[in-house]
Amino acid sequence: MKRLFAVALGILTAIGGFVDIGDIVANTETGARFGMSLAWVVVVGVVGICLFAEMAGRVATVSKRATFDLVRERLGARVALVNLVASLFITFLTLAAEIGGVALAIELATSVNYLLWVPIVAFCVWLVIWRVKFDLMENVFGLLGLALVVTAVALWRLDPDWGGLLHGATHPAVPQGEGHPSWWYFAIALLGAAMTPYEVFFFSSGAVEEGWSRADLVTNRLNVYIGFPLGGLLSLSLMAGATLFLEPRGIQPGHLSQVALPTALTLGKLGLAVLLVGFFAATFGAALETGLSCGYTIAQYFGFQWGKFVRPADAPRFHLVALVSIVLGAGLVLTTLDPITVTEYSIVLSAAALPLTYFPILVVANDPDYMGDKVNSRFSNALGSVYLLLLLVVAVATIPLMVLTKAGS
Amino acid sequence: MRRSWMALFLLLLGACTGPVRSTSVYESKAGATAETVASAVETARLAVQAAQDGDAYGRYLTQLLADAEKDADAAQGTFEGIQPPDRRADQLRDQLDELLGQATDTLTELRTLARRGRFAELAEPAAPLAGLAEELHAFAEAHA
Repeated sequence: MKRLFAVALGILTAIGGFVDIGDIVANTETGARFGMSLAWVVVVGVVGICLFAEMAGRVATVSKRATFDLVRERLGARVALVNLVASLFITFLTLAAEIGGVALAIELATSVNYLLWVPIVAFCVWLVIWRVKFDLMENVFGLLGLALVVTAVALWRLDPDWGGLLHGATHPAVPQGEGHPSWWYFAIALLGAAMTPYEVFFFSSGAVEEGWSRADLVTNRLNVYIGFPLGGLLSLSLMAGATLFLEPRGIQPGHLSQVALPTALTLGKLGLAVLLVGFFAATFGAALETGLSCGYTIAQYFGFQWGKFVRPADAPRFHLVALVSIVLGAGLVLTTLDPITVTEYSIVLSAAALPLTYFPILVVANDPDYMGDKVNSRFSNALGSVYLLLLLVVAVATIPLMVLTKAGS
Repeated sequence: MRRSWMALFLLLLGACTGPVRSTSVYESKAGATAETVASAVETARLAVQAAQDGDAYGRYLTQLLADAEKDADAAQGTFEGIQPPDRRADQLRDQLDELLGQATDTLTELRTLARRGRFAELAEPAAPLAGLAEELHAFAEAHA
């Protein structure tokens, strides 16, 4: 019974924790502009994150070391440094976007300018990282993030033409008046949002934090293979809501307030209140994960003591990196750079850096010295290799498409 | 050798030249501006609808209207900063300016009422928004 509860809790937190500001922005913008024609990218992204998160979790469980910890040892300091710099930059940008996202969510509830909330949010993120236990932190924000299920409820309540939505999703075509480059650019943004590198750092480091053993490998698989796809459904709900409400009216959602419109108009005040809680939890939870991930990557590369499983006094450099990242992230948002714009750039640049994150995981997950009998199966390797090829193409295409489409504008 | 240096010089000279100011580029910028402002107007229409139906909290509606106004103001400001290259562009500018002015004035009025908590009074000033949105969409389509 206790094990069943642990599995259920893990799946629920995986669903609630799947969506962050990147998913919220990318899926709504895409739905409003291209309808459901890019829904297939969400599916590709979810399969990819399931594949590599499972690998990262397995590596951490079997070796008792987080993925990044092994990258330097397995690939050498120089290659790992390139990986570190790129990943850290993307994770930092994501952290700034999440802090901005929390502030924007509070702004919607209070109508007080988000910039005033940024320092308070940053302080709270740091305080939770410093004081709250890992599993409590993960469970509370993961479960609260489930409030985003309200977007799926709104869609169901709306009783749309399901056949039409499905047709749009299964017959991808560039809508009239839009160019192929923009369509592909948004496809990359969606992929970057679904496969953000920090998710893997956090997942594998979390496995070490929670002291997973081989007996937990089944839990790992269930969390990933059930929780993430259900989280992906929330992304698709956001896209469908935008397709039904915003696209026909030509609304280009550049604000969180516009993202909430489909739910508010369908479910009223209660739905809106639940959605705002969901926005807050999803972005705050992701801010914690990205803040911790900045600390994880640096500490694991340089071999510092890391983690929340030891007292902060025993891992001072890890906590210092997390603190400095949070302060700098808040500073970036306080320059008045629009948090939604920061989000847009963070997900697209993260798509460009994806091979740097996922290649080492595939290498380590195949190394019998670390994995023993738990190396990748042939199927995982074949699928992993196909994904790496895809991510390589995406990485090469991202910057030219960004320039060509003026960042999708 | 000399020819290759000359080619390189011309290439660099070309790179130093500023962006081409043609009517077609100006027209496409006008179309994009109309599209952005139409988006803001449509957002405001939904906000007013939500207020009338009691579907949203006052603070959320205020923020939604403030965001719509900000978008429209920003688009108008950017467009006004662009120099029309010829007479045809002047006409285009005059035509769009009128629509932009109406849109931003209405959005400002709606935001002001919302900030004062007078949500019941939003419907009246919002009445022209439907027609305005239609005109902006038509303009954007004609000058895409």
